[in-house]
Amino acid sequence: MVVAFVFLASMTLISALGVVLSRSVVHSALFMSGSFLGIAGFFVMLNAPVLAAFQVLIYVGAVTVVILFGIMFTQKPQVRGFGTIINQQIWPGLYIAIGVGAFLAYVLTIEDWTATEPGNGPREVGVLGEILLGVNGAPPIFQLLFEVISVLLLVAMVAAIVISRRKVGEGVDRQGVEE
Amino acid sequence: MTQQTVGQQLIIAAIPVLPALVFVVLALFGRYIREGAQYIATFGVATSLVFSGFALATVASSGVPIEFAVNWIDLGEGGSFPMGVYIDGLAAVMLVVVCFVSLMIQLYSGAFMQDDRRFAWYYAVLNLFTASMLGLVLAPNFIELYVFWELVGLCSYLLIGHWFEKPSAAKAAQKAFIVTRIGDAALFIGIIMFWRQTGTTSFQGISEAAQAGFIGDSLFTAAVILVFVGAIGKSAQFPLHVWLPDAMEGPTPVSALIHAATMVAAGVYLVARTYEIFVQSPIAMLVVAYIGGFTALMAATMALTKSDIKRVIAYSTISQLGYMMLALGIGAYTEGFFHLFNHAFFKALLFLGAGSIIYSMGSYNVLNMGGLRHRMPITFWTMVIAGLSLAGIFPLAGFWSKDAIVAAAFVEHFYVLFGMALLTVFLTAFYIFRAIFLAFMGEPRTEEAREAAESPGLMTGPMVILAFLSVVSGWIGIPEGFGLPIRDYFAKFIAPSEFAAETLALEPPSFSFIMAALSVLVAVAGIVLAYAFYVPKPEWASSLAYRFSSVWTFFDKGWYFDALYDALFVRPAMAVGRVVREFDLRALGGLVSGVGRGFSGAGERLRPLQSGGAQNYALFILFSVLILGVIVGAQYAFLVVALILGIALAAVAVGARL
Amino acid sequence: MPPQAQQFLDTLNTTLPLEGYLVVGAIMFAIGAWGALIRRNAVVVFMCIELMLNAVNLTLVAFADYLPGAGGVGVGYAVLVIAVAAAEVAVGLAVVLAVYRTRKTVNVDEVNLMKG
Repeated sequence: MVVAFVFLASMTLISALGVVLSRSVVHSALFMSGSFLGIAGFFVMLNAPVLAAFQVLIYVGAVTVVILFGIMFTQKPQVRGFGTIINQQIWPGLYIAIGVGAFLAYVLTIEDWTATEPGNGPREVGVLGEILLGVNGAPPIFQLLFEVISVLLLVAMVAAIVISRRKVGEGVDRQGVEE
Repeated sequence: MTQQTVGQQLIIAAIPVLPALVFVVLALFGRYIREGAQYIATFGVATSLVFSGFALATVASSGVPIEFAVNWIDLGEGGSFPMGVYIDGLAAVMLVVVCFVSLMIQLYSGAFMQDDRRFAWYYAVLNLFTASMLGLVLAPNFIELYVFWELVGLCSYLLIGHWFEKPSAAKAAQKAFIVTRIGDAALFIGIIMFWRQTGTTSFQGISEAAQAGFIGDSLFTAAVILVFVGAIGKSAQFPLHVWLPDAMEGPTPVSALIHAATMVAAGVYLVARTYEIFVQSPIAMLVVAYIGGFTALMAATMALTKSDIKRVIAYSTISQLGYMMLALGIGAYTEGFFHLFNHAFFKALLFLGAGSIIYSMGSYNVLNMGGLRHRMPITFWTMVIAGLSLAGIFPLAGFWSKDAIVAAAFVEHFYVLFGMALLTVFLTAFYIFRAIFLAFMGEPRTEEAREAAESPGLMTGPMVILAFLSVVSGWIGIPEGFGLPIRDYFAKFIAPSEFAAETLALEPPSFSFIMAALSVLVAVAGIVLAYAFYVPKPEWASSLAYRFSSVWTFFDKGWYFDALYDALFVRPAMAVGRVVREFDLRALGGLVSGVGRGFSGAGERLRPLQSGGAQNYALFILFSVLILGVIVGAQYAFLVVALILGIALAAVAVGARL
Repeated sequence: MPPQAQQFLDTLNTTLPLEGYLVVGAIMFAIGAWGALIRRNAVVVFMCIELMLNAVNLTLVAFADYLPGAGGVGVGYAVLVIAVAAAEVAVGLAVVLAVYRTRKTVNVDEVNLMKG
């Protein structure tokens, strides 16, 4: 267990650092999906395999692809120097980030968690389903949230299409052909 | 006390109210009335004079004082302050004197102030002054007296500073007000002391309470002396005499009315009015007498060197007031007030004469005059009569009162005061006739002197009337010892109360031919010496002045009192004023504008925060969240408050550039 | 088996403390925050935001597993967070595309019309 934890933790954190510090955008995207995979592993360790599946499907599968598409449409993927990829706030940002991280860690660990035991997660799909629909002992609010999320996804789809469509006379094609 | 009818009470009350009404009318409508102001004013004062005569007749015939009062403030036991009227012989005579002299002055001013820009306002304040002085005379208690005392001071300030465009006049008015203020403050403290001890402020009441022993000895003496300090301020005695010579910056009729006949006499009147209280403190009486005597001598020396004729007459006033205080202090109540009575007439006349000279010649400097005897005969003869009366030459008015004071000093065994008084007689005769000879005798020294012409009738008329009075006003007080079959009306009419007379235990006044001859001789010697020095051989005077130049400068600079007060009080006060002004300008002003500058400066410095970069904003947000989390987590609530305060202070400090 | 090795294997088999997952989540969140503040490229900023969201998810699920009285509800919340994150990525990238079309740049600090 410990070995798995250490391995997954290092994979996740190193990939996260890679996202931030990598000089190529595509490399950042790939590091990001590596980080997602680490998180999926964590989910498995935490007795939520269904969620791990969701994580891989959605994040590694869909989000990474969308981001790669975005990269493709907006820039020439070349390797740049550190100066051009990082802005002026690097050191203040570092200190603040360390501060935030330390603060969070402190607040979270100062509690007394000795009374807890792993094993309460939804091992089966059915249990997760019941939770999501708010039946059989789960908080009933989840019914509403489930439906709202559906609507949200619809709205997001429509919004994405509306925002990113080309209006007449605007923009230049990659080959330099005017629309 | 006989009960007055309402009509009589109205008439008495109208005496001060009529001039006050004239003031209101002229103050409000003076702009439209202009030249007509003199007629309204003169009418008002003339009516008051008639009513005063009525009051005098009533008191003289009935022999009891007129008294009535209304309740002004009543706070119960020990807190009732009535406003009323109390007229005995003293007050009745004073009323007539004030009204009469005021009438003469207002007639005279019609011509003197002819082309003045603020003609109506001048008459308005003059009438306010008359009303206040009359109110002061009528007051039966300290509070009412103090109210009118202050009003009189205010009018003096306004009138001295009538030509306030001249900086010297404005400064003189300020000086007068501030110096008399010192006296007023002392007077008020004295009043409070009396009131606290006895629960009343009426003269009668305090006197009786003091007799009954309600007030401790040292406290009583202190209170009495404080009241006298008020009189010192108002009557320009040592050491508060410095304002009167400077007050000559005002128009000459003002000097005649206020600073010769009436306002400065208010101090003497106060002592006379509260005589029953004064006699109960022998120490206070001595203080009064010696200050009076010293002032008389001191002022006479200061008058010796002046070339401004108004200044000479001003110092003469201080000196004569010293005589009156001397008399009151040694117990010669009747003689002191008699001198006030006579002095009013001849001193006013002297001032009017000086005004006449400036009206025709344009200068007060006797060294610019000369030979005016032929060109301005009426002025010359009236001034000579006034001068003789002032010097105390038989049989003019001044002789009867001044000689009586000198004799009383000798008889009551105040030999030092007698010596001072006699020496002052000599000096008085000398300086007044020095001025008269320099101005009227010899040859004209300047162009203006050659061109001088006699003043118009509106001015010479009152002068002649006053000259007549300067001769005869003393004849109502000729003592029986002189041998004439005339009664001493004055002494019968104005005498200290029985209680005061008992306490003083004076020897009955008698007329001594030797004393009379002595004082007349001394005065004549002064006149002769003045003649010798200035008419045939004026070089004697200048060579004497040269030989004793340090003494001459000492007298000329007023015994260096002005310089002394300037160094002691004026400079430190100005320094304090400067410090306060700097503080106000820098600190307070800086604070106020600093707040504004601070906030705008802080805003300017905060401007770069709006960089327009979203990540920059995100940085600040995260930072703030972190800080808030730490603070809330550790419950450092006061840190938040301290932080906010610190930022505000820093902004203000930066803005105020402290 | 030597006792030290047995001990070592025992420690390897103990249940992991909750704080472990929480600390990992906190560090990942911090790294994501740092990246979001630092990088000039808008797409990379998005990726860092995704990192932060994942860190939160991790924390949620850890609590869901360890806390007895919760009944596994944290997992349900995590599902909802995933859904929202996906929607946000879609819309956000659409905005990036639109900005790229007009300004020809994807750098966040070159879009600063609100300066001053």
